[in-house]
Amino acid sequence: MTGHRGAALLRGVSAVGLALGLPVVLFALWWLASADSTNIFLPPLRRIVEAFGQVWLSDVFVRDVLPSLRRLAIGYAAALVVGVGVGYVIGRWSLIRALTSPILAFFRVLPAPVMIPVLLVAVGIGDATKLIVIALGAVWPILLNTADGVRGVDDVQLETAAAYRLPSWTRHGLILRAATPQVFAGARQALGISLIVMVVSEMLMSTDGLGFTVIRFQRTFAIPQMWSGVLLLGVLGFGLAKIFELIERRALRWHQGATGREESW
Amino acid sequence: MTAEPDEALLRIVDLGKSYRSRERTVDALAGIDLTVRDGEFVTVVGPSGCGKTTLLKIVAGLLPASTGEVILAGRRVTEPPADLGVVFQEYGRSLFAWKTVRQNVELPLRHGRTGRTERRELVAEALDAVGLAQAADAYPWQLSGGMQQRVAIARAIAYRPKLLLMDEPFSAVDAQTRGDLEDLLATLWRRYAMTVLFVTHDIDEAVYLGQRVVVLGAAPTGVVAQFPIDLPAVRDQLDTRSSPRFGELRAQVYAQVRRTPEPTAPALREVNS
Ligand SMILES: Nc1ncnc2c1ncn2[C@@H]1O[C@H](COP(=O)(O)OP(=O)(O)OP(=O)(O)O)[C@@H](O)[C@H]1O
Ligand SMILES: [Mg+2]
Repeated sequence: MTGHRGAALLRGVSAVGLALGLPVVLFALWWLASADSTNIFLPPLRRIVEAFGQVWLSDVFVRDVLPSLRRLAIGYAAALVVGVGVGYVIGRWSLIRALTSPILAFFRVLPAPVMIPVLLVAVGIGDATKLIVIALGAVWPILLNTADGVRGVDDVQLETAAAYRLPSWTRHGLILRAATPQVFAGARQALGISLIVMVVSEMLMSTDGLGFTVIRFQRTFAIPQMWSGVLLLGVLGFGLAKIFELIERRALRWHQGATGREESW
Repeated sequence: MTAEPDEALLRIVDLGKSYRSRERTVDALAGIDLTVRDGEFVTVVGPSGCGKTTLLKIVAGLLPASTGEVILAGRRVTEPPADLGVVFQEYGRSLFAWKTVRQNVELPLRHGRTGRTERRELVAEALDAVGLAQAADAYPWQLSGGMQQRVAIARAIAYRPKLLLMDEPFSAVDAQTRGDLEDLLATLWRRYAMTVLFVTHDIDEAVYLGQRVVVLGAAPTGVVAQFPIDLPAVRDQLDTRSSPRFGELRAQVYAQVRRTPEPTAPALREVNS
């Protein structure tokens, strides 16, 4: 038994080692290579880390990071609700799919930030515009993947549900559940996109937030501080992706088992 | 007791089915006439691809007929009727992968009149009957094909249907389990007065289980022969199968199946328009 536990512990350690190994190595390389840098645009990593502590571990966190996270959360959540809802309808009914597919093909390739000027005029410079842009950027992968997943649900499962006369709301639930692997795939893409769109929208039109702060540091030549913002964004993106992965792995355990893609470590 | 001479539960009248797609039309069924009495156990045999699955799906109200009609308990079938249990040929795909065995079996019961405790009993009883009591909390993908098939069977019997449609339900289990499941099905059928329409391509199984064996021909398929099976009501794997009468019946059905032409080219019609 202890042998098993020991092996499991070892596996856990090696998994963490594998996941963090390369980042740690790169970080160390950056640290060493930049240690004697005199280029003011590429300050030593030591200076960046110092700046990181000074800038972000202060009230700036409340003033600029929290608003960014809030926008990200609201925009992303809206994209999830709309994307899954509309994707479900489009995936389920072929007539609606046929009607909407040309429009979808058009909007899908339209980069979300291009809507910023339009929305600035139409909605104004407030938070609403940023939320809309984030949601607009994130909604497409969710919508299209959900539609694909819903469309691909096994006929035999549908027939089973029909033969046993399951009520329609149960059937919708089953179909959506069967489509969750694709929904998650879309939601994962959308998470990265919403982070990008959040930063861009804050850089272009904001008085607070991460994107705004990075630009402010750049304009005032606070270069280490600017770099620390980039670092923070990287860490944030990485952390969000990890959280997402955890949730996904829990929700899709059945799928990994069913498709034989259970990860060995 | 003045029993009606015609106690038909299920009447299939001049049923035809063509699968149409843009390129071609497949005539699967043509002119099927079949009547099943209330409480009867009818087995259906026929060559692969002759339309057995198609027939069951139309009876289940899952596929529209092209011609003719299906009447169940006096009502024309246009959608899945109440109190219908189905075991699909693709049993594995009919299970929901994110639900445990128990949840899969319970699913159809959750929306009926059965209360929570009764439901739990029905599920436990059905799983026990198919020998899966131990696997109740496993997921379908953790089970072998034969075990998955038994989950699908347990789901159908826990539902206590009036009409049970089974499409080669024992195809993936070993001979021993197959015999056990055959006897289990026969017992349940007698106990709950179900009507069973049972598709198989195993002639022995058809004779062993059925009160009547229906032989389908090659596509486009009609009923080519029917054999009443006058074996004792309660059958036994050893005694029944080794009885001379079983051998005779089996030989008759077998000869009939062999006489029907091979379903070489299931009537494909090119569509010109
Ligand atoms: N969805 C479909 N579209 C077109 N043709 C179909 C479809 N389903 C079945 N067919 C055709 O109808 C005929 C009968 O098919 P069916 O599945 O009913 O046969 P079966 O008797 O159940 O065969 P098996 O014993 O192999 O299960 C076959 O020729 C098949 O190719
Ligand atoms: Mg079939």
